[in-house]
Amino acid sequence: MNTEQTSLRGMVYASLFGALTAVGAYIIIPLPPVPITLQTLFLGLAGTLLGGRLGALSQVVYLLLGIIGLPVFAGGKAGLGVLFGPTGGYLIGFVAAAFVIGKLAALKARPGFAWLCLSLVAGTAVVYALGVLQLSLVARLAPVKALAVGVLPFLPGDGIKIVLTAWIALKLRDRIGGKFP
Amino acid sequence: MIRLGQYLPGDTIVHRLDPRVKILSVVALSLLIFAATPVEIALISAFLAAVAGAARMTPAQAAGTLRPVAVFMAMIFLVHLFFTEGQPLLSLAPLPGQVTREGLLRGIYVTWQFAGLILAAAVLTLTTSPSELVGGIERLLRPLSRIGIPAQDLAVMIAMALRFMPMLLEEYDRLRMAQMARGADFTTGSLALRTRAVAALAVPLLLSAFRRADELAVAMEARGYRRGPRTTLRELAFSGRDLGAFAVIGILILATTVLRMTAL
Repeated sequence: MNTEQTSLRGMVYASLFGALTAVGAYIIIPLPPVPITLQTLFLGLAGTLLGGRLGALSQVVYLLLGIIGLPVFAGGKAGLGVLFGPTGGYLIGFVAAAFVIGKLAALKARPGFAWLCLSLVAGTAVVYALGVLQLSLVARLAPVKALAVGVLPFLPGDGIKIVLTAWIALKLRDRIGGKFP
Repeated sequence: MIRLGQYLPGDTIVHRLDPRVKILSVVALSLLIFAATPVEIALISAFLAAVAGAARMTPAQAAGTLRPVAVFMAMIFLVHLFFTEGQPLLSLAPLPGQVTREGLLRGIYVTWQFAGLILAAAVLTLTTSPSELVGGIERLLRPLSRIGIPAQDLAVMIAMALRFMPMLLEEYDRLRMAQMARGADFTTGSLALRTRAVAALAVPLLLSAFRRADELAVAMEARGYRRGPRTTLRELAFSGRDLGAFAVIGILILATTVLRMTAL
């Protein structure tokens, strides 16, 4: 396969994962204490399966879908207003997280379950760091308060999703047909 | 029966508008919908209905575009209905949460926002051919090329993602039904069981999506798609019609601003 073919395939896969992250907002699974959506599952898979650059590109596509006006942000919201609002930091965090997850996972030639989980934990931390930063800046919440409302309720669900993401990534990485440049 | 994201060739005034005008109008609408007050809700709804009518979108078609997201719409309505604090209308004694006046209003508002956004996007994709859509997005993103972001690639990717979304939603629906017919249960059972049920949905969804993505990549290669600067068959050019559309959107924005200023 020459490089041009692979990069076209990479582009198609990055838009696919952008669309998956968008559709993930509509897939709500009732797990206690807070129902989870599959958005961060697809975000994690974009990073682990596509690599840092393409993974981040897939999340840029996702953000642009929402900016154009498709209701693909959490809770069926859309528009630049959401991006600059209190919860916009989480969305910007998606781009950074996919990059970090992809780069960390690629440090090993063939990462195992534990290494993938570790990369995903780092990615989740990036989403929350940027999310809480914007939440406390825009909503004028004290960082501790922002942490309590913007992070803690979601941690159990995130733990489950990280394990699930790593497991699915191991299962699917050979189906995706090798690495993307 | 049409789907969200599908293009239906036609010769209405909405079809003939410049894609840039249509895309920017949807962006403007999403901002208006985001912060709409009750009066504005009526104004924006009337505007959406008028545009959908001008695009010859039938009410059945409009309902059809909302069908794949109907479950989600019902869910966000119910969440706001039951979990908003305020003046209680109805208490569900043994269950947590209660129906409040604020919850009912909030639920209707959020559901309206969502339906409005979906309809606006549906009118855009219904009346704009894929190549026009790509051309329009590319022109709007072109300033990004100066800071090294590949606008052309991004435009093609957004257009592809727009067509992937309804396909993924339908596939997910099919898989969910198939799994439920086999006795899968996502609402009861231990955490491990439920997690496994989620994996049993996500893995086949991803596998079928990968197959479609590969097919699309091969099809694009076979037709000689190359990355990099491209020319288009039809150069985009603004006409009087487009300026008129801009004026209409401008009036809508002005009207909402004036309404807000006088209300204060």
